Amino acid sequence: MVEDSKLIHKMYEVMLRPNTLLSAFNGREGLDKLGQSPDVDLIILDINMPKMTGLEFLAQVKSNPALAKIPVIIVSTDGKEEDVARGLQGGAAAYLRKPFQREDLLRIINHIEPKQSAA
Amino acid sequence: MSQDTNITDLPRSADAPPDGDVPVRNERDAMATLRRAQQLVSDAHAAIEEASRAFGRDGGAVSASGVQARLAASETERQELTGRLAEVEHQVGRLMTLYVATYQLHSTLDPVEVQSTIAEIALNLIGAEQFVLLLMDEEGKGYEVRLIQGGTDTRWQQTERYTGGDSLVDAALSDGGLRFGPSEESPALAVVPLRVQDVTVGALVILKLLDHKPAFVKEDHDLLDLLGAHAASAVFASRVYSKTARKLRTLESLIRLVNKG
Repeated sequence: MVEDSKLIHKMYEVMLRPNTLLSAFNGREGLDKLGQSPDVDLIILDINMPKMTGLEFLAQVKSNPALAKIPVIIVSTDGKEEDVARGLQGGAAAYLRKPFQREDLLRIINHIEPKQSAA
Repeated sequence: MSQDTNITDLPRSADAPPDGDVPVRNERDAMATLRRAQQLVSDAHAAIEEASRAFGRDGGAVSASGVQARLAASETERQELTGRLAEVEHQVGRLMTLYVATYQLHSTLDPVEVQSTIAEIALNLIGAEQFVLLLMDEEGKGYEVRLIQGGTDTRWQQTERYTGGDSLVDAALSDGGLRFGPSEESPALAVVPLRVQDVTVGALVILKLLDHKPAFVKEDHDLLDLLGAHAASAVFASRVYSKTARKLRTLESLIRLVNKG
């Protein structure tokens, strides 16, 4: 999870038990974490973050062949149609607007293709 | 297995007992085993006939309407269970949200972090785009504007203290009751008084929701209630702790000076 809110980090931790989560508070830290542990199944990404935004992070991930197949779900308070379109065009597998319900997040995660078969 | 099982089908050796618990030692045993097997087959036939009657067979013919009625009942039951499961899942999610909000509010004794958590709850969990946080000053004489989020109107931007004038805010600060707007005298969508020990120590004034969130939903009321109680106690505790820590540092400095002298 790449997200600058401690509250949302805790939320994911509670909602996504018993999965193992790696935490990063901005895009740059997220890339560092991915460099150390590239074998992740899913990235949950915020957009508005300090140092490196979610969209910048997404571009970096999708341009790296070793990371490009990892599915990315954007979860953001930016909810305009153009925000959603920008995220999906950038390579995100899904876009969820905050505030969100747990069942919406789980439904999206369950419908995401595993990275082995993702384009 | 059929009812006309032949005795020659039964094993005659004591080393290899047939299915079941009765070992066959000789022909007499074999006959006893056969009778037992026939009894079992007969019981099974009776059970099958009873099950068939229960399932809607009538004289050997299947009642299509009976089967359809049973299928329809099963489908209704399935839909009801699915609905209940979805409702339970939703409630679990709601409780998780409330738990996390409470946990995070009380996870620190730093007043700045508590304010930051209140702002995160307002933005990420309630969907408030513009809001103002008012907190009672340390002397308890009035309310300071401690946080402005999301480009509110100039009335809030230009002031550091709230001196009254917004009817909804004034009412909430006065009687400690949650208020929803907007009204002719107030643009606020909601005013959440922060109360601890029957004292209103502040208020969260929500002025605008995110564009994709048209209105408050049922779950927001729980969160607003939670903020009213837990944010207040978290703010209060962090202030007491910070004041005590400050006094302690001053005393320690004095003691060091006295010891040096």
